[in-house]
Amino acid sequence: MTLVAVGLVLIVLAGVAAAALSRRPAAGELVFRALFGTGCVAGAVPALAVLAGAVVPDVRLPGAVPLGGWVFGLDALSAVFLLAILSVGAACAFYGLAYLARERGHRAVGAAHLLLAFLVSALAAAVIARAAAPFLIAWEVMAVTAYLLVVLEHERPEVRRAGLIYLAVTHAGTLLLFALFATWAGDAGDFSFAALAEHRQLLAGRGGMILVLALVAFGLKAGLVPFHFWLPEAHAAAPSHVSALMSGVVIKMGVYGLLRTVLLFGPPPPWWGWVVLALGACSGVLGVVWALAQHDIKRLLAFHSVENIGIILLGIGAGALGLAYGHPVIAVLGFAGAALHTLNHALFKSLLFLGAGSVIHATGARDIDRFGGVARRMPTTAAAFLVGSAAIVGLPPLNGFVSEWVVFQALLRGGVEGGARDAIQLAGLAAVALALIGGLALACFVKVVGVLYLGTPRDVVATTAREPTARMIRPVVGLAVACVAIGLLPIVVVPPALRVGSLVAGIAPGAVGPEVAAAGPATAFTLGLTAALVAAWAARGAFGRRQPRLEAATWACGYAAVTPRMAYTASSFAAPLLGVFRPVAGVRTARVGDTFATHPTDPVLERVVLPAWHGVRAAAAGLRPIQRGGLQLYLLYVVVVVAAVLLYLVATGRTL
Amino acid sequence: MTWEGGAALGILGIAAPAVPGIAVKTKSLLTGRRGAPVLQLYYDLWKLLRKGTVYSRTTTWVFRAGPVVMLASLLVATLFLPLDGRAAPAGFAGDLVVFAGLLALGRFALVLAGLDTGSSFEGLGASREVTIASFAEPTLFLCFIALVLATGEISLGGMLGTPLAVAWPRAGASLSLVGISLFVLLLAENSRVPVDDPATHLELTMIHEVIVLDHSGPDLALILYGGALKLALFGVLVVSVFVPRADLSGGVAVAVLVAGVALVAVAVGVVESIMARLRLNRVPQLLVGAAVLASFGIILQLH
Repeated sequence: MTLVAVGLVLIVLAGVAAAALSRRPAAGELVFRALFGTGCVAGAVPALAVLAGAVVPDVRLPGAVPLGGWVFGLDALSAVFLLAILSVGAACAFYGLAYLARERGHRAVGAAHLLLAFLVSALAAAVIARAAAPFLIAWEVMAVTAYLLVVLEHERPEVRRAGLIYLAVTHAGTLLLFALFATWAGDAGDFSFAALAEHRQLLAGRGGMILVLALVAFGLKAGLVPFHFWLPEAHAAAPSHVSALMSGVVIKMGVYGLLRTVLLFGPPPPWWGWVVLALGACSGVLGVVWALAQHDIKRLLAFHSVENIGIILLGIGAGALGLAYGHPVIAVLGFAGAALHTLNHALFKSLLFLGAGSVIHATGARDIDRFGGVARRMPTTAAAFLVGSAAIVGLPPLNGFVSEWVVFQALLRGGVEGGARDAIQLAGLAAVALALIGGLALACFVKVVGVLYLGTPRDVVATTAREPTARMIRPVVGLAVACVAIGLLPIVVVPPALRVGSLVAGIAPGAVGPEVAAAGPATAFTLGLTAALVAAWAARGAFGRRQPRLEAATWACGYAAVTPRMAYTASSFAAPLLGVFRPVAGVRTARVGDTFATHPTDPVLERVVLPAWHGVRAAAAGLRPIQRGGLQLYLLYVVVVVAAVLLYLVATGRTL
Repeated sequence: MTWEGGAALGILGIAAPAVPGIAVKTKSLLTGRRGAPVLQLYYDLWKLLRKGTVYSRTTTWVFRAGPVVMLASLLVATLFLPLDGRAAPAGFAGDLVVFAGLLALGRFALVLAGLDTGSSFEGLGASREVTIASFAEPTLFLCFIALVLATGEISLGGMLGTPLAVAWPRAGASLSLVGISLFVLLLAENSRVPVDDPATHLELTMIHEVIVLDHSGPDLALILYGGALKLALFGVLVVSVFVPRADLSGGVAVAVLVAGVALVAVAVGVVESIMARLRLNRVPQLLVGAAVLASFGIILQLH
């Protein structure tokens, strides 16, 4: 615990140094790098130890603090999130140094680094907090620093709008968290998590209410459909390294909250598991359909976060159903898959955002239809982006495949273990949703890679793309290496994931060993597949050397006057799929003269949230007459309300 | 792995190019033509392997990796099928996800290779291919789930091996529906009529053929061989579901498999000669139809 605390202090100090030395950027960045890097390593070492099986005692802060004791702890669940926060946080912070370097002078770059350091340490503090008060404080620091980072380019109106929506949503979520903890603790007054866990037998009728509050509050943070509407706006508006951090780890705090709730609450009732499973399937499928419709690379990646949160929720749902119906293996596999996919998504999604950021940094454009052939100009970034794409699609032998395979196992085991009249048999059907998500994600990333990086430039901006400096390439390549390493070695990552799953399910670690999840044979498979791919590539190269090789123009079926504008665009590529999903896709088409354009919209934001907001505003206008601005009137209101509360207490026979 | 299994693996690898040949021959005979020899693909492969390659100036290493990755992933996928009707050479819990993942990996590589040329024709084919695949994948999983429910196994080797023979008397109706659904998937995944027409000559109407328009020489040979192998793999899936072979002796089981795959190829040829290809926007409906069949296969087993 001490090492984690030291790490967090170092990270904050790194931010302070960067802000204080903003007049001497070279020195400031050097200190920032050294302190931030050391801080992340210091925090990651105990996290790795805990994932390997070490036990760390909880720390209770001495002295009188409000709302019960302030407790901090590091268990396997905290550790896996801490690892994701620190690894992705370091990559994003280092990338941000180079990304923001040229903004120096007309933007508060030092302050941005300070905010990022605060954000990373607040995230880490939230996952090690073991009492409501420090948890909520860390949560709020995280929300506010994230907001300030989102509106870094505040001169653009759409950035301010996105920031406002984000701020409103995150505070609505915090409010629900207050309600959650207040409902859970009841009259006890002790808000430490240990007390909440002991309190669960006394909950009686409030249990369902707590689970619903947790689902909505943490669902808002995670960007679960239908609470996702803020996510694409905010993630597209933020600078790319902040988008990477937000999509990679900030939204995962919602996942953390849900897993922590299940851990503290114990086996949830079956209906909660089914609701989570259904929401996960909806998020997954709708997220990827909406992503298919996007032209803006960052909005597209943001919608894929909605999709991947859906996959994680499918794991949590399977786990909850396993607990509810008494199948420990399914429970452990479900939670383990969710935890592992959280870590994997943090890695490949930040990789994709940073890879896209390099392209945006070089060209200033974000519309993928204007690109093409960028891979020839940015080969390393393109290769790393390709690795991230294959990982997010869930292709072997990369990390996305490993975690999706664990989630699939949890779902399919429902069909095997469920006896007669056991409803968990039906959980297997969610595997079909997961397969559909996989197929659509493949279509979407073929579109992104194909239209952005491959082919010929469609617009002059694409020809301005060039590889960024090594300082921006290194974090991206590092994340790609992590994706490949996890993919190649399931035997190393699956046992810690099962430890997390056992912890959440409340089952002794080791009861469900790695042999149940077949981690060993899976490792043999991923290594074998990689060997086969390398061998095939080498054999093809050796064979090809002996044969003549020509270069020519692309075959255009005999047509001579081919221009890059004829190449398939992102819109035309996605058109057949979006046609099938027309009722939910939210694509508007416009024909003006001889031009045809498609405009993606978010159906939930446009058809539900904004009309509802206008309704609320109209209703609130009716309350305006009571606000006249006179102080004496307001004092009267206070007296009336206090009197009414006293009367209510007397009438119901309660004492103060 | 038994020696019969190893032999079956060898036969599958060597005889795969004959499978599309049988389909073409059947179609030709049924439509009153003599048709190309059954072994035509072998001649084509031999010819292509001796040729040089032409690469478009637009392309990168992604274009050259496409055929290699596609074939390598299909070859690895072969190892997860129980060819001798008992057990697969490789297999573990949840390896049906591996099988689907390997098919997806091959598709991802090939489609990106097509897009690497920057040609709008290849873009068109790529878009259609991923659209159809998006609907084929959930259908494949519905079939797998029905098999999981029938056999209580979550590995391909288990589902299609010995436990399937035990499950047939109990869940025969359900398994037949799954088999039919898998046959429709075979047609869709391998670009056969009524989804795609391998004999078409107009690039605008193609799906699979147009993605590989720019591949030539040994690269094209890898793609053609990979296509034949994929057809054979799906043939093995269909035959394995319809004819559980665990009770037969090893040699007979392999012989039945070979005869069965040939019969599936004949069936493909029959379908191609009695049907026209569907309009493109009808294809998802066909696949949803197959998914409904598989879903009935699941519902029949819920108890």
